[in-house]
Amino acid sequence: MRNRFAATLLTALALATAGSRPIAGQDGDYRPPAGPAPRLASGKVDFSGVWQKPYAPDLTKDSKDFKGVAELPFTPWGAAEWKSYDAANGDYTGACLPFGMTRSINTPEPMQIMQSDTYFAFLFEQNSWFTVVPVDGRPHRAGIATWFGDSVGHWEGETLVIDTVNFNGKTRLDTVGHPHSDQLHLVQRFTRPDLGHITHEMIIEDPKAFTRPWKTTRTFTLRPDWEMMEYSCEENNKSLWEGRIKIPKRP
Amino acid sequence: MTAKHLLVGAGLVAAASLRVVAHHSFAAEFDINKPVKLTGSVTKLEWMNPHIWVYLDVKDDQGVPQHWQCEGGAPNTLTRNGWSKDSLRYGDQVTIDGSLAKDGSKTCNIRLAKLPDGRSVFAGSSGGDAPPPTPKR
Repeated sequence: MRNRFAATLLTALALATAGSRPIAGQDGDYRPPAGPAPRLASGKVDFSGVWQKPYAPDLTKDSKDFKGVAELPFTPWGAAEWKSYDAANGDYTGACLPFGMTRSINTPEPMQIMQSDTYFAFLFEQNSWFTVVPVDGRPHRAGIATWFGDSVGHWEGETLVIDTVNFNGKTRLDTVGHPHSDQLHLVQRFTRPDLGHITHEMIIEDPKAFTRPWKTTRTFTLRPDWEMMEYSCEENNKSLWEGRIKIPKRP
Repeated sequence: MTAKHLLVGAGLVAAASLRVVAHHSFAAEFDINKPVKLTGSVTKLEWMNPHIWVYLDVKDDQGVPQHWQCEGGAPNTLTRNGWSKDSLRYGDQVTIDGSLAKDGSKTCNIRLAKLPDGRSVFAGSSGGDAPPPTPKR
């Protein structure tokens, strides 16, 4: 009886506050399912799932589930690139060009991981991009430089290490525009302490832009209640079409 | 679960202020140092990626409607936060707090949109990386 009364009260309150329209959900107290980290048949830790990521538009500012580096160790080249950057002169993502690896990890849109003993696939909801990483120990390919770089993975105990090189140098590390060069070398270390979480470390090494490697740390949260959705950046990018966002100059 | 628990939970749901973010740098298009407050009548809502757009008529000092357009967050994130294309309808009176576009057009970025009854719609900013209203560096 008490439960029925409570349900009636809640319904009345919801109708009073929202009329016939939906009201926003509250996500702050979400708790993922508990349990041990799952494993593939081979015994390797399985990172598969839809993951909620912390939004990290500025890698120098900490936020919930994200720890950055307050003072970046710029080289003179890196400092000059950062000082001269003005997004108003053209942020390539405004033209829906590929975000690249770091900015795809930084976005608040979820990513799905699908994994086998041979491959680890990043399925980013942001602009519906993906990157497939061989994790069977093979070396880097000697292909053309790309937006997301060339990634290979290997295991160090319970940690999956994804190593990425061969970037085209056209991307930025984050939304506010911290720079990197085509000499960027990214190392991502994935561990899964339990069913509901991934601990993600990203080591940024770039001898042209930074005097030493530096590291960000973040926690991803499992969202079995979420399905991935299509994200067409091009569909209604009217800010670009109407000229308020500039197209970045070709390097 | 008791009625008290449910009341508290429902209050949290109604009061939630949820951050919504942009696919590009806020500074690429908008000026955080040019805040704007608009009250007008909704004429159209575009519920598409990469941003929703709210169109509204705002009367000027002479009572002549001026056509404005304001950018919100990505519909995917807004959907997960409980909003939908029906959360704001044609004819709704809405007050928008936001920032003007740098090009001087009648375009803004939505920080907060409120209905006359005080409820927030699409709560949060579409410019999660928006700098504070001071020179960047």
